[in-house]
Amino acid sequence: MLKVGVIGAGSIAQLHAQCWSRLPVELAGWFDIVPEAARASARRWGGVPFASLDELIDRVDVVDVCTNVTAHPEPVKAAAQAGKAIVCEKPLARTVAECAEILRVCEANGTRLFVAHVVRFFPEFEEAHRVVASGALGQPGMIRTVRAFGFPRTDSSPSARRYADFAQSGGVVMDVGIHDIDFQRWCMGEVERVFARGLLEAGIPRYDHALICLRFESGAIGHIEASWAHRKGLPRTHLEIAGTEGIVEWDSRQPGSMAWVTEAEDAPQHRTPTMDSDHPYWAELAHFLHCLESGAPFRVSPEDALMAVKVSQAVLRSIRTGRPVTLSEFQEAE
Amino acid sequence: MSVRIGLYGIAHLHALSYLACLRDMAGVEVAGVWDADAARLSMAEEQYGLRAFRDRNALLDRQLDGVVICSPNAHHRRDVEAVAERVPHILCEKPLATTVEDGQAMLDVCQAAGTRLQTAFPVRFAPAVQETKRMLDAGGLGQVYSASCTNQGSMPGGWFTEPSLSGGGAVIDHTVHVIDLLRWFWDTEVAEVYAEIGYGQFHPELRIDDAGLLSFQLANGVYGTLDTSWSRPPGHYVWGNVTLELIGAEGVLNVDAFRQHLTLTHGGRSRWQPWGASPDRALMEDFVDMIRSDREPSITGEDGLKALEVALAAYGSARTGQPVSLS
Repeated sequence: MLKVGVIGAGSIAQLHAQCWSRLPVELAGWFDIVPEAARASARRWGGVPFASLDELIDRVDVVDVCTNVTAHPEPVKAAAQAGKAIVCEKPLARTVAECAEILRVCEANGTRLFVAHVVRFFPEFEEAHRVVASGALGQPGMIRTVRAFGFPRTDSSPSARRYADFAQSGGVVMDVGIHDIDFQRWCMGEVERVFARGLLEAGIPRYDHALICLRFESGAIGHIEASWAHRKGLPRTHLEIAGTEGIVEWDSRQPGSMAWVTEAEDAPQHRTPTMDSDHPYWAELAHFLHCLESGAPFRVSPEDALMAVKVSQAVLRSIRTGRPVTLSEFQEAE
Repeated sequence: MSVRIGLYGIAHLHALSYLACLRDMAGVEVAGVWDADAARLSMAEEQYGLRAFRDRNALLDRQLDGVVICSPNAHHRRDVEAVAERVPHILCEKPLATTVEDGQAMLDVCQAAGTRLQTAFPVRFAPAVQETKRMLDAGGLGQVYSASCTNQGSMPGGWFTEPSLSGGGAVIDHTVHVIDLLRWFWDTEVAEVYAEIGYGQFHPELRIDDAGLLSFQLANGVYGTLDTSWSRPPGHYVWGNVTLELIGAEGVLNVDAFRQHLTLTHGGRSRWQPWGASPDRALMEDFVDMIRSDREPSITGEDGLKALEVALAAYGSARTGQPVSLS
């Protein structure tokens, strides 16, 4: 059985651990720069707290990188150099240059890198991609997606400070918008140019929002709303793809398969429970294991992960300059 | 005394909706119809029992209190110029014209004649839009930062896809409604617009723009986007929509203006069946009220011209690939 080590014991790591526990792997242990975090996760999910990154890499077959984005390159490259298979949370890195360096090291060492762009495994989005790929929409001409949340933390924890620090998180474009950039590339192909407006430099604490226009090389048009300006507890996702032959639409606010009102909850609730196999984080890790075993390519290639970062950076440049940015001409600032 | 209205050009489908509304209103007389197209005139006579005037002057001789102009967009100027000195109130279908020059000429001729010119922006009267205006005026969202908007629809066909008559496709057709709402909400103007426009994106047999995505900056600081596409395929459950998502410092508001419907399955497909009074009816009542109470229009010709300027700037942006400033 493959041994998995998780690096970074924050909130996304808990989600990964819950899914690893339902897969045929051994959760070997944890490393976190805060030793108590690794110990607590080991107590909760099993495995041992490792004393160092090197010790973890040495003792496992699969390295699962769940640190914040600025701390991705170091463990990913170390795992690659040790020849270990790698799962890395999105975004792959904070800059295109770091992504390119990671890809180079993985290539040189022949290691397999899977970047967890989980939206490709959300069952609604996966099905929409299948509809596009089937040709049922004809030639797709317009894709629109919304991913709208409140600011991801309500406390003043270190992770809340990291999200709020643009230099570390990249703001809502790199944390949230990148999901849709990746999904839209998956459905529509390569991006030719972007134009965007947002609250990047508005200076509103714990508030970020962007409206992104994309033009694909196919001529199709894309629109993305990425928001940390919505109300806590009322997230919204939305999906619409229209083509020459049809349209596919989905909105998370549509009534689900269950709706209820009870004494305990003061507002009407609705929910669409799903089968365990449709849990997107479980599905992406199951896919990773399946591809490792079969040698099949990952649904998200390392180049896809790099391009998602590159398009995100182009979006940020457009917000800053107020000008469209063409990807083939885009150079990341040093 | 009843208010006497003439229909002057019925090429735009809205004319038939307006007709039904006017006929349902007490104290309103529809005196008849003129249209440059003989076939349309016969259709109006035979299917709708309207008195059809082959000679436009014969209709204008009927001492009309107002006319509703629903000719093709490019004919609006000609038609307004023909009636401005003979009829004191004009309701002109949107977009007001196909060029700024034409739109300005329409405003000028009406002003010179003392004729009141109203632009037909019925979406202002949708109950959800009215309530949104009240919420915004009451400061319900705090400072508003952003507006993500759609006015997506179905490809209307006919003269709408003939640029010489329509002035353009989805962008000129569907920019003006929402831009009018935003100008009205905040008494502001569009300062800058960028646009991605697609030609034959959904209907490759057409060379006209059928996909449009505008990114705009308003003078009051609100930024946003507007999808104007004719992206609803034949058989879709609703012809189209007007949606707004407003992000404010103290709240978020989503509006789906026409989500006021039954779902009807008939003839092998399901579709939305609107219930309640229509915005078209409210627009007609507003127009007739202007005539009766001898007041200024609630939505002016200038409102129509300002919205048109944004649509034309969007085409300009798509041509140059750069944002366009409006001053």
